[in-house]
Amino acid sequence: MRITRTGRPSGRGRRLVAPAAGVAALALTLAACGGGDSGLGGGGDEPPAAQECPCEIRFAWWGSDTRHESTQQIIEAFEAENPDITVVPDFTDWDGYWDKLATSVAAGDTPDVITQEERYISDYSTKNVLADLGALDIDTSKIDDGVLGGGQIDGTQYGIPTGINAYAMVADPELFAEAGVDVPDDATWTWEDYVSTANAVAKGAGDGVWGTQDYGFNEAGLNVLARQRGETLFTPEGELGVSEETVADFFQVSLDLMAGGGQPDAARTVEYQAAGPEGGLLGTNQGAMGIWWTNQLGALTESSGHELELLRLPGEAEGERTGMYYKPAMFYSVSADTQYPQAAAKFVDFLLNSEEAAKIMLTDRGLPANTEVREAILDDLSPTDQKVADFMADIEDEIVDTPPVPPHGSAELADIMERINTEVLFERITPQEAATQLIEEVTAATSS
Amino acid sequence: MVRAPARPDGGAPVSVIQELSRDRRSRDQGVSPRRKGDGRWALFFLAPWFVGLVLITAGPMGASLYLSFTDYDLLSAPQWVGFENFTRMFEDPRFLGSLGVTFTYVFVSVPLQLAAALGLALLLDKGMRGLALYRSVYYLPSLLGGSVAIAILWRQIFGADGLVNQVLALFGVQGQGWVSHPDYALGTLMALNVWTFGAPMVIFLAGLRQIPRMYYEAAAIDGAGRWRQFRSITLPLLTPIVFFNLVLQLIEAFQSFTRAFVVSGGNGGPSDSTLLYTLYLYLKGFGSLDMGYASAMAWFLLLIIGGMTVVNFLASKYWVFYDD
Repeated sequence: MRITRTGRPSGRGRRLVAPAAGVAALALTLAACGGGDSGLGGGGDEPPAAQECPCEIRFAWWGSDTRHESTQQIIEAFEAENPDITVVPDFTDWDGYWDKLATSVAAGDTPDVITQEERYISDYSTKNVLADLGALDIDTSKIDDGVLGGGQIDGTQYGIPTGINAYAMVADPELFAEAGVDVPDDATWTWEDYVSTANAVAKGAGDGVWGTQDYGFNEAGLNVLARQRGETLFTPEGELGVSEETVADFFQVSLDLMAGGGQPDAARTVEYQAAGPEGGLLGTNQGAMGIWWTNQLGALTESSGHELELLRLPGEAEGERTGMYYKPAMFYSVSADTQYPQAAAKFVDFLLNSEEAAKIMLTDRGLPANTEVREAILDDLSPTDQKVADFMADIEDEIVDTPPVPPHGSAELADIMERINTEVLFERITPQEAATQLIEEVTAATSS
Repeated sequence: MVRAPARPDGGAPVSVIQELSRDRRSRDQGVSPRRKGDGRWALFFLAPWFVGLVLITAGPMGASLYLSFTDYDLLSAPQWVGFENFTRMFEDPRFLGSLGVTFTYVFVSVPLQLAAALGLALLLDKGMRGLALYRSVYYLPSLLGGSVAIAILWRQIFGADGLVNQVLALFGVQGQGWVSHPDYALGTLMALNVWTFGAPMVIFLAGLRQIPRMYYEAAAIDGAGRWRQFRSITLPLLTPIVFFNLVLQLIEAFQSFTRAFVVSGGNGGPSDSTLLYTLYLYLKGFGSLDMGYASAMAWFLLLIIGGMTVVNFLASKYWVFYDD
């Protein structure tokens, strides 16, 4: 650490050397970068010729420690059946996963089998990172067509759903009983009922217990409301298909709940939302309801210690059609650049269709998409997971269709929702202004 | 209490910085013939560092400069777009918002941090018992301040049911979730930055030791009080150190990332109130896969910091006092 005083001519000659060397180095690197797409950005367009095994493929996934352990067991089972294929695990947590995947793709080091998610799969498929799975030898005959369609973009199968979840209301009957309020009938309840029920629970249960947790940060809730009104969050063409009125109504529900005491103040809401399912209102026995993905029921039940129930979302009988849907939990995709497409396909086929794999995985990647496998593991499921399976079977006939894959750039939607929702909760903008802003920002994000 | 003079040889009083620059001057004055032969060895020992500089620093910097003129999403090859990324910045409300947040953060927290550092340094300079212990204790936050663990702790302390609110509750004040309220969240980050005053404090302490006792003795004889001594002796003689700390802390504050990332849960929320510049840069690069734009932002930040530092040096002529 040294400070040279200004205006003192000492060591001037030497000072010039460093910048000059810097410029030279810069020029060299620039020349290297300018020379085509080497290194930066996915490499060439032509996939390398397929090679025979023995071989080594890399499987990338995100998740918790339990998932890492069970996946390791599945890999061992696969390797026992296919001694000439070695599967190299490549896993991180959710946040780090996408940073890591993007940089590996940029470095030309794409994993052979990639776990994908609906917010990102469009980005990756339009950039030719993912292979057409229809052209590979993977058996998808046991997967429901609607569910399978969730992994198709412009008719090409870029990902195969690992399993399904539904966005549903989770209720805590114990807290309802304490508040002296009946658990509502989910076949008929409306969004207004939802608000009044939550407000009543908060009033009945007293201090420190609220009716419900805010739902505005997750676009899935908006999608359900839009579908109930015959709209959709995104059209199959990848355009925003939700009206300003619907978005405004969506945010208004939160304001009504805050006004009636049914949900906590804005600052608390932001905090609970950041704490995940376990640290949220239901998980800490401070709220009687919350809207979560069905695969989160296990975590919620465990942290709350109460017997929680799954309910349909409000408004299913209120609108012109039902809005709930099966969401592909995640997808298995294969790299377009893999040297061993057959081996990768064989592994994906094993993950999807092997009972042995399913019995290890259970519902960790959603309720299995393969219906035959799903039947086979029912007896092995925990009581909570069985509840989920029953609920999913109950709503099966009511579901109209699976929403199309969200367009390129939709990964930003979650961020936009959360930001605008916070502005609404702190009453810095009205629901109407929020609707205009949301539509503007999402259109900009998905059209670039 | 009598203290040994700052310099054992009893020569003219010199500041730390002066000593450093003197050292430099003496090295500039001709090299002995024997030392010339050592040049090759010097290069040899410098080589690993130089290779690292080119490969790990200069290379990526050059690449990012090139990328800043391209549209690059990491997944496909970069496309040359000229200055588009730079012009887009000024139409991007979130970018402008993050600039505002960053400037507020820097210009509020750095002066407070330096004031805290100087205040503590003056107290510790009294030569109390166990000085080494206190010095270490106060320096500790500087070592920990950039860490994820402290940021998580901070989040807890300022949470709705955190320590701050529990203390407030003792006085009957109903606090609120500080980190999750858009009006206060940035304040908690600034508090964290102020809290890491240890590094400048240690430098201040060293600077205070360089001020010769005799000035104070002379002032005391002339009847100057404590405050007067501080204003007329300590502060002027300390200005080079203040300047040094100011430059360093400004540069560091502009690049704050970890604490905002952790305290806001990675998105600069609530409603962008903690969206520091580098955090937005990261979100653009890895969240939106807009690496060209993120690279352009990085270079723009370099311009900002460079500009601030130049202004600092120019302004220093008017307030920094070099005693020679």
